[in-house]
Amino acid sequence: MKFSRLIVQLLLVVAVITSIVLSFFIWTNTARYQRGQNIDVSSTEANKNEIPMNQVISPTSVIWHDSTDQHLIYNSNENISISIQKIMQDWKINSPKLVSKKNGAYYQKLIQSKDTIQMVYPTAITTGTLGYLLDNNSLKNEKSDQFNRILINLKNKNDQNIYLANDNNYAVYKAKVKNASSEPITKLVKKANINLRVRLNLMKHGVFTFYVDPIKLKTYSYVISGKQDGEYTTALFDSNTNGLVTSEDNGVYTYNYGESKRLVSDHNTEELTFEDYTDTSVPKTQLAFLQRGYQKIINLQNSVSNLRLYNANWKEKDLVFREYVEGFPIFKKSQFGSIRIKFSRKGSTEHFLNKVLEVPVPSDQASTRLKSTTEIFKGLQNVGYSPNDVQALEVGYQWESETDNEKVVDLKPTYYIKIDGHWKPYDEWTNESAEEE
Amino acid sequence: MDFKRIEVIFLIVFFSLDIFLFLSFRNSQQLVSSTSTNTSTVAEMRKRNISFGSLDTKTGYAYYLGSRPDESLAQNVQKLRNQKAEYEDVNHSLTSTLSNPIAITSADKIKIMDKFIKKESNVLFGKEYKYSPQLSTKSQIIYVENKSHGQIYDKTAQLAFTVSDGEVVSYTQTYVKSMIILHERQTIKSEKDVITNLYANSEIPNNSKITYANLAYTKLLEAKDSTIYIPVWFVTIKNKDSKVVTTKKVNAFTGNIIKSSTNGDNNYSAQ
Repeated sequence: MKFSRLIVQLLLVVAVITSIVLSFFIWTNTARYQRGQNIDVSSTEANKNEIPMNQVISPTSVIWHDSTDQHLIYNSNENISISIQKIMQDWKINSPKLVSKKNGAYYQKLIQSKDTIQMVYPTAITTGTLGYLLDNNSLKNEKSDQFNRILINLKNKNDQNIYLANDNNYAVYKAKVKNASSEPITKLVKKANINLRVRLNLMKHGVFTFYVDPIKLKTYSYVISGKQDGEYTTALFDSNTNGLVTSEDNGVYTYNYGESKRLVSDHNTEELTFEDYTDTSVPKTQLAFLQRGYQKIINLQNSVSNLRLYNANWKEKDLVFREYVEGFPIFKKSQFGSIRIKFSRKGSTEHFLNKVLEVPVPSDQASTRLKSTTEIFKGLQNVGYSPNDVQALEVGYQWESETDNEKVVDLKPTYYIKIDGHWKPYDEWTNESAEEE
Repeated sequence: MDFKRIEVIFLIVFFSLDIFLFLSFRNSQQLVSSTSTNTSTVAEMRKRNISFGSLDTKTGYAYYLGSRPDESLAQNVQKLRNQKAEYEDVNHSLTSTLSNPIAITSADKIKIMDKFIKKESNVLFGKEYKYSPQLSTKSQIIYVENKSHGQIYDKTAQLAFTVSDGEVVSYTQTYVKSMIILHERQTIKSEKDVITNLYANSEIPNNSKITYANLAYTKLLEAKDSTIYIPVWFVTIKNKDSKVVTTKKVNAFTGNIIKSSTNGDNNYSAQ
């Protein structure tokens, strides 16, 4: 009698333990199962013909300061900044600490320091965004410190830091780096086949890249592509296009999807505007802001490999993307770059051009020799614009359609200057060519 | 005494709970194996009797390449001996009939032709070409140009021997002298991406064999007197029942399937 009771009690204990063990396994196993699903999702995403976000949001110029001079470098066979980002993905980067702020003298010294490579974003991003782009967990949770330059010393073995610098408020952050080697970066620098001597100068409206000598730049040609309005409406409206209302006025076509979405396509200028009145949520973080912008551009265009984030205005929730060729931005005949996206409580707006660089073609034009930047400032002064009037200055490519072949465009380098909030090429400000005689 | 009864009831309840937990644990494990990414597609393909070797998952880099028209063949045609060669300006191609046809068997044809093309008086720039079993047929032996960036599978850079009654009687040659890189390197789709994508798009029938999957440059378009080449995956599929062989082409940059049957004549919209 007592013995059988002991067996029942023993069995009960075993059964309880087994149930606990099994429950534990199921818990952990479900987690594994869900992780498996995540991998699945990411692999199908990769299968779509997408250019990764860390290519669209990446530094566009790389400046190398050897022991004497600063050089803007580029490798036309391999994008240096994207390769450096790949290298940095394996680094362990600690959380950045503020070193200095609003100290122009210190800032100038930092961005001119020797044996240093710096990668420059066209617009400031946050440390959290950098953590996301590099898939770096310790940076991902960072508070939103803004920066647009990453500086890495390649020679000084005692300086195990990278510096993040912000042109807007001269803030400098320092982040300790582990598991990093400068060797692969030095190798990339040596492979550069475009090398222009520059000097970074602090002026009233920020940091300006001065080309010390006249610069010789190649001309490029591209086959351009565009889409029919119908392809945009299918992509932008829900696939059901039954409720579509169309109207036309002097080559301006308007497509309305009920009261909620509208696409206006101007066939004269090939500019399109899409408004989505259902998209009323405004991004809460900088990262979400950029992610949503990125999702919108890959939905608009099949080929975004040349597209880069050019300007992110967090206050106005306004993003501008531009196409780049060999590290220089392309200025088209529009004021907004290639794509402009704006989020607001009333809905989101997308402005874009129906002309995308698709396939590079050998150019039959000779290289262009541009004046040095000091000469350009002199030229501007001659027509009454003081250096303090100049809000921004950049070497960029001008979009020139060929008259006999409208499918091919030539891209010619020139200086672009922003005065009073308007970008114009140098010759339009001064009536004088930016090319060296 | 009641306490003992409670113990027995508890034992039964926990025992059935254990059985339930054990079963659900097994189920969830099966779910894991069925969701594990592309391997499941590969397993599904094997189940449908599609045979292929191991698939490379490595994604590499490739370029947009461009070439200018070149008259090297026309300029050197006088170097050829024992053949009647004619140069055609429009296609920049050289067609030649051999004075002494070369006897070959299927066993030794590659060895014989490899030796033949190495000599400059037989074939111009022959050393720059490589035999391509994927493009060759019974009546044609195809050699493709082998450049530093990779092979070119295209009618603008090819050496095609015509075989008739076990003899090589003539050949047609096109030649690209040099290629320039037009754009910085870009990542390309891996072999596995391409083949699973073809399968997902119903381009690979059941009961077939993937005989070749090669990456090569092919002509995309002509613009401004230049020819532009892009990397393309050439996947050859042989139907095990009908023995019909088809070659599918996939743009290695975008992963899009190029819908055209003839090699090298795809137009721009095929991108």
